Amino acid sequence: MTVLRYNVTVIGGGPAGLAAALSAAKEGAEVLLIEREARLGGILKQCIHDGFGLVRFGEKLSGPEYAHRFIEQLPNPNITLSMLTFVTKIEKQSDGFVITMVSKDGIRDIFTKSLVLASGCRERTSRQIGIHGRHCAGIFTAGTAQYYTNILGKMPTKRCVILGSGDIGLIMARRLTLEGAEVVGVYEAKPTASGLMRNVYQCLEDFNIPLYTSKTVTRVFGEGRLCAVEVSDVDACMTPIPGTEKIIECDALILSVGLIPENELAESIGLPMDYRTKGPVTDQNSMTMVNGVFCCGNALHVNDLVDYVSESGEAAGRAAAGYLQKKRSFAELKADDSFLYIVPQMISLTERKEPVTVYFRSKTERGKTRLTVTVDGSEIYKKSYSQLRPPEMERIEIDFKGMQIRPDSRICFALAEVD
Amino acid sequence: MSYIAALNKRLNVLYDGKVFAAEENGCLHLKGELSDWQDIVRAGLISVNPRKYIGLVNEIRLTGAQIPAVKLPKSADNTLEGARPDVLVIGGGIIGCSIARELKRYKMDVMIAEKEHDVAMHASGRNDGMVHPGVDLRRGQLKKKYNDIGNRMFKTVCAELGVPFRYVGQYLCFTSVWKKPLIAAAPLYWKAMNVPAEYVNRRNLKKREPNLSPQISCAVFFPMAGIVCPYGLTIAFAENAVNNGAKLCLDTAVLAMEVENGKIQSVLTNRGRVYPKLVINAAGVFSEDIAKLAHDHFFSIHPRRGTNIIFDKKAAYQVRTIASSMGTLDKKSGHSKGGGIVSTVDGNLLVGPDAIETYERENFETTAESIRNITDKQKRTSPHLDNRDIITYFTGIRAATYEEDFIISFGKFTSNLIHAAGIQSPGVTAAPAIASDIAKMAADYLGAAKNEQFDPIRVPIPMPVSMPQEKRDALIQKDENYGVIVCRCEEVSRGEILDALRRPVPCDTVDGVKRRVRAGMGRCQGGFCGPLVTQIIAGELDIPLEQVRKNKDDSNIVFGNNKEAL
Repeated sequence: MTVLRYNVTVIGGGPAGLAAALSAAKEGAEVLLIEREARLGGILKQCIHDGFGLVRFGEKLSGPEYAHRFIEQLPNPNITLSMLTFVTKIEKQSDGFVITMVSKDGIRDIFTKSLVLASGCRERTSRQIGIHGRHCAGIFTAGTAQYYTNILGKMPTKRCVILGSGDIGLIMARRLTLEGAEVVGVYEAKPTASGLMRNVYQCLEDFNIPLYTSKTVTRVFGEGRLCAVEVSDVDACMTPIPGTEKIIECDALILSVGLIPENELAESIGLPMDYRTKGPVTDQNSMTMVNGVFCCGNALHVNDLVDYVSESGEAAGRAAAGYLQKKRSFAELKADDSFLYIVPQMISLTERKEPVTVYFRSKTERGKTRLTVTVDGSEIYKKSYSQLRPPEMERIEIDFKGMQIRPDSRICFALAEVD
Repeated sequence: MSYIAALNKRLNVLYDGKVFAAEENGCLHLKGELSDWQDIVRAGLISVNPRKYIGLVNEIRLTGAQIPAVKLPKSADNTLEGARPDVLVIGGGIIGCSIARELKRYKMDVMIAEKEHDVAMHASGRNDGMVHPGVDLRRGQLKKKYNDIGNRMFKTVCAELGVPFRYVGQYLCFTSVWKKPLIAAAPLYWKAMNVPAEYVNRRNLKKREPNLSPQISCAVFFPMAGIVCPYGLTIAFAENAVNNGAKLCLDTAVLAMEVENGKIQSVLTNRGRVYPKLVINAAGVFSEDIAKLAHDHFFSIHPRRGTNIIFDKKAAYQVRTIASSMGTLDKKSGHSKGGGIVSTVDGNLLVGPDAIETYERENFETTAESIRNITDKQKRTSPHLDNRDIITYFTGIRAATYEEDFIISFGKFTSNLIHAAGIQSPGVTAAPAIASDIAKMAADYLGAAKNEQFDPIRVPIPMPVSMPQEKRDALIQKDENYGVIVCRCEEVSRGEILDALRRPVPCDTVDGVKRRVRAGMGRCQGGFCGPLVTQIIAGELDIPLEQVRKNKDDSNIVFGNNKEAL
């Protein structure tokens, strides 16, 4: 059998992958888009609430509507679609990659010059945050509960406690309430909510769902199905305080305790990872530290707005289509401890493209703050914020045009209080 | 002074006159009441004397707390009423299932009664899967006898049953520098004990297991240590037994026995009264209850809880074999469970277990404290262990007797009864050897002839992920379901899940599927594949989604259609 050849292969048909495939095709590349599920759209398929697309389309769309804006651009003569297909192996060769994939048709290899990883993220589980007690039915991640409710139309709970105030948790609090379930409360171990403020207002306050901060679930009870959870106050280090335990009767514990980029494929080809984003280290062209491998969307770092996921996919697709097999040299973007992370972590000096889009999150909740960027000690960019919150990602554009940047240049990002 | 008199004097001092010992029919009985379970266990451990007595029966009552009753299946019917099997095996753990398979080598009707909804639901499914070389066993113990024989049967048994198994070897690590000469000589002792062993110095250890703690000065290597998936093996035993004609009755609990003239006349279950010629007690932590029902109460079980932790495959580089450290052995309790780090057949690291005495025989809770203690302890062997790589943890409960040995014998007072009781570590290793002996005992007792039709081979569920590419492709060409990946973390296909639902031992739960094909065993813990597996089960069994369960009664996953379910 002849091995099919593509310019660009995109792994993942969610918002990042769709945008990447479409933009690469627009540049004239022969694109293969691989999706492991039966339908395109990724997690958007189950996000039937609105609020998607405000930045990009100036409209409030539901998840499926937002995805449709991209899916309707298919079929595209430059895009080959491979659905219900699972990538099992990526092998690097001198001029590209051999991808092994499994589908109903069997197992086959294809060759691609460049590769875009758009595999999204997964949810942190109850075990990863150390939930103890009986291992009964009725413990769901918010995304799984959302799948049951919105895709299958089945109630995962009648009365639940939600742990974690991530966006999906807040949205599921409202969603389950609308379906008639009772949400006893949303418990958050941190002193503030982890999700967007708009979701705190629209999903909790408007529905009189209480948010309890600095409290966590310490134990679950139940033989077959969960029948109660124990909640405790936590101290400043988020360690439960003995003696503050309270038992709440419920039939489910729904977790919204963080998302982790899915990068097992990336790790299998030895991409250097950023421990802060849990995604690969990339340059301003979304290229990882392995030539020809690009990464975008939530696989790169967890975004709070899909609009930015699409933007990141488009940039990666475009760059992958124009990828030339050139050796790169880099300068590192250094972010001080006041940042949770910044993306990209590197700028390539070989393929300069201006301006450079930088996404970042502050590590802590901050009031009036000034962001400054310096190159070898001289300030090249500054911006003031009235407030910064870790749940809200910020996006800036920096123009390095005309600047002498060498691999050993010190490009530093810093946040400082403003009086 | 007689042993009893001296013992009573001691118990009197220790427990303020609340406990006393008495001899009954050659057994040592402890009576009285105490408010602390740890004291009750300690009294048993102080009093036990296997040389003088048939067994120790600890009847000290616990005051101030209720020992939970046996959890019984909810269902009841009459489907077994009047059944007359030659042998009734009570318990569908690895012991019961391996015995049932061995019994089928002879011409007998075999029935297995298991109170849970699947096999291997207690200790057999909740241990570290280590096939022990027998490092800490002593001559004269049944544990030693059956471990030695069982260990060497594993390759053949697992090949017959299509169960992955490897002799990976175990490093027993030492930090002491001044004891080095002693340790270097120690392999001679083990070799004399029929346990192959080899001294490994620091330099060679560094080559063979480069990621262990630099504090370790040397190790002893036991090449006969192996790893197996213990519930996978139990399921395989059960399937092969069923394929050879054994009748496996799940959700079937023994409630009572009619005993006359030292013989069990009938056994009452929640599915009717059964009239077996011979009963085999393989009931794990409940084997004492069964012995009592059979009027053959000569031993006691003091359950011992242990938790194990599973680490992500990403951590697997840290230990390629099995590693444990000397000095992590629990000196207080004296028994072996220092735990260790095991590289599993599935490519994860398994770390643990700990050992805690408990009166709750079915409380499989995990606690933050156990996890902390286990990781703190094992980090001394493998310092790179990182709690962020933990994907799950589970608790099992060992069925220890006060003699701390297996009981493999006919009843002492009831003749048509064989005990396979007190089976704790190394129960998995010993299972094939125990089963073979007990089957011989049963065949002799019943005068059963060889079953020429017995087929020891079990064809396992195909595992496409570990197949060469051409073979995997051919499988998918035959059935496209093997090409649809449902569990992305463990790369499990729809075809395998359908297979799990269609095997000789029925499975209709999400956990049942998970234990057979690993869907949901990975790092997302079923977050993605849970709803898909649930749908496949509902489709295959033609039941509504809300009737699909996680593992047992009342463990449904969803409640019904949106808005209607309230």
